[in-house]
Amino acid sequence: MENLFAITGKGYVIVAADTTSARSIVKMKVDEDKIKVLSPHLLMAYSGEPGDTIQFSEYVERNIRLFQIRNTYPLGPSAAASWIRRSLAESLRSRKPYAVNLLLGGYDTNKHEPHLFWVDYLGTMTEVPFAAHGYGSYFVLSLLDRYHNPEASLEEGLATLKRCIAEVTKRVVVSPGQYKVKVVDKDGAREIEI
Amino acid sequence: MNTFADRFSTTGALAELRKAQKAADEEEFSDAMWGSEAGFGSLAKGVPTFSVPNIPDPTAFLRLHTDDHADPTCKIKISHGTTTLAFRFQGGVIVAVDSRATAGSYVASGTVKKVIEINPYLLGTMAGGAADCQYWETYLGMHCRLHELRNRERISVSAASKYLSNLVYSYKGMGLSMGTMICGWDKTGPAVFYVDSDGTRLKGDLFSVGSGSTFAYGVLDQGYRWDLTDEEAQELGRRSIYAAGHRDAFSGNTCNLYHVKEDGWKFIGNYDISKMHYDGPGNVLGATGGGYGYELRVEGLSSANPPVAAQA
Amino acid sequence: MEAISRAGTVLGVLAKDGVVLAAEKKVTGKLLDLSGAKEGGYGGSGEKIYLLNSNIIGGVAGITSDANSLVNYARSAAQRHLLTYNEDIPVELLAQRLCDMKQGYTQYGGLRPFGVSLLYAGYDPHYQFQLYHSDPSGNYSGWKATCIGANNGTAQSLLKQEYKDDLEVKDAIGLVLRTMSKTMDSTTLGSEKLEFAVLTLDPTTKEPKAKIYRPAEIDALLESEGLAKKDEDTAKRSA
Repeated sequence: MENLFAITGKGYVIVAADTTSARSIVKMKVDEDKIKVLSPHLLMAYSGEPGDTIQFSEYVERNIRLFQIRNTYPLGPSAAASWIRRSLAESLRSRKPYAVNLLLGGYDTNKHEPHLFWVDYLGTMTEVPFAAHGYGSYFVLSLLDRYHNPEASLEEGLATLKRCIAEVTKRVVVSPGQYKVKVVDKDGAREIEI
Repeated sequence: MNTFADRFSTTGALAELRKAQKAADEEEFSDAMWGSEAGFGSLAKGVPTFSVPNIPDPTAFLRLHTDDHADPTCKIKISHGTTTLAFRFQGGVIVAVDSRATAGSYVASGTVKKVIEINPYLLGTMAGGAADCQYWETYLGMHCRLHELRNRERISVSAASKYLSNLVYSYKGMGLSMGTMICGWDKTGPAVFYVDSDGTRLKGDLFSVGSGSTFAYGVLDQGYRWDLTDEEAQELGRRSIYAAGHRDAFSGNTCNLYHVKEDGWKFIGNYDISKMHYDGPGNVLGATGGGYGYELRVEGLSSANPPVAAQA
Repeated sequence: MEAISRAGTVLGVLAKDGVVLAAEKKVTGKLLDLSGAKEGGYGGSGEKIYLLNSNIIGGVAGITSDANSLVNYARSAAQRHLLTYNEDIPVELLAQRLCDMKQGYTQYGGLRPFGVSLLYAGYDPHYQFQLYHSDPSGNYSGWKATCIGANNGTAQSLLKQEYKDDLEVKDAIGLVLRTMSKTMDSTTLGSEKLEFAVLTLDPTTKEPKAKIYRPAEIDALLESEGLAKKDEDTAKRSA
């Protein structure tokens, strides 16, 4: 089952996604990257219906890029999230809606603060200090209610993320083995090995 | 009052519906009769039309009665019994498939070609709807050729597979059923992409698709290394298909083996799975000799562990 | 273009902590009933300066009916941006939106271009306070201080002489009013001929705050700046 996690901390957002791509009981791929870097300071993790995920995320990626080329400045995290939410909401009432869940982590370079948005396939969006999608969320949300610290350093944030992954690996019946982790802060987005 | 007016009006939605229903009842139902004739009434019978099943939503109907992975009990069976595999290694790409076509529990054919030769450098495999795979992969071949003519270079495996995945994605939910590997050799070297009718497209080293894929994975994953020799790789492909043909009731008959190298694909051979079970693939490169069957492999071996004293 | 050079002057000055906009209303004849203008709704009698969005005010010069249509378009564009992106439209983007439309009317035969120039005074987080000008052809550019409408040449050379970098809003208000009084055809400066607006940041919320002066407020302001009606000498000399 697919899992996405994200945690904000002092000046950064960590976004993590499992790397398995499964069809029925078979893992077709174990090193799939489900986190797209949409712009220098924006990350998007996605899960959901196979096919829709790729098509929608590439659609978003290209549109964010187009905006940047047209307007010389990139969309801020909240503006990008609003646009993406709207795309999903419009798709929901179309003939064939995208069934995609998202976590959007970004760093606002004007106001110098990290932002995290939880978005589901119905077009629900909310800004949160930490977020999760998938069966993992049933374990991790309570864990983060208990352990999340908004002022945690990157090291502490990663330690909390490792707690989440360990918990899910321990308790969820079919849990993915590997995770890809990316972080976005004032210096931009990058991948981190855990 | 409204219902009364509706019944005798000649325009409006209800009237249109009535007209359509009447047309359907009279067995002269055609597409052109739907909706307004918009002044083309005299043409309505002369215009070529194609008939649509007399049901409100053909896609929903097809989904309901097609053997999708969700519901195996439905009426229209699509050949799901299949094992196909492809993997990338130092010496190119190995593509191996079985040849059994099933319709329900009936073996429809034992000599199906499940490798589709798109062009001399590209192979596609067939799992799911045979017609869907055959038609769309041939169609893909056409576009690959157009790409060559327009750009004076061969299409990359990545681009070809993306073309196919975008194509099937546009038909998503309309009943297409295919699980295919697009294999070939381009500027980047050997390449394998998995594409299915959900619209999924994955780049990878090793894939297996079909009802027997789990059995094939069991042998393939354990025997796979990047630096396999050509002969070892061919043997691994053959043996993995054998394993699936043996264990999966819906796969079997024979194994077709292809090897893609820098200068295009080459057909290696067709191997009878029963024969492989008892006698091995015959005198071919890489064969270890002897049958693949478990009983043959362990002949003379015993797990009995009697005390040493008793032996004497 | 012709209509614009005869239209009432609109003048804008960019300051460190805000933008100031002033406009001259043309009084077309003695019989024009101005009895209502004295009271004015919020935003004066609203002929030349409009609130385009909570962070942008616009000043127009040219054919009034065309201007009304453009203002309406600008307000819709700003709301559309708010709807999709959940943020105030950046000033330059709004200028671009209007210019895209204005350009369209220069391209196709059978259509008449909008006979309007605009000044946009606004704030956004990307470039803070900004002042833009756009003309009927769809060209736009950013300014520290600029002027459109009648006598814009005179006004611009005056601004060039008197403008200093790191000007503050209160200095900018003075500069605008002084320049205005020198360039206007009329001999007197008063609320019946002047519209005035200032965009600053609200000190508590740090959000942009647009203030379009009421007629009474304009008169009070002129009084405090010593430019009220009595100052006929200066006006005569410039004319």
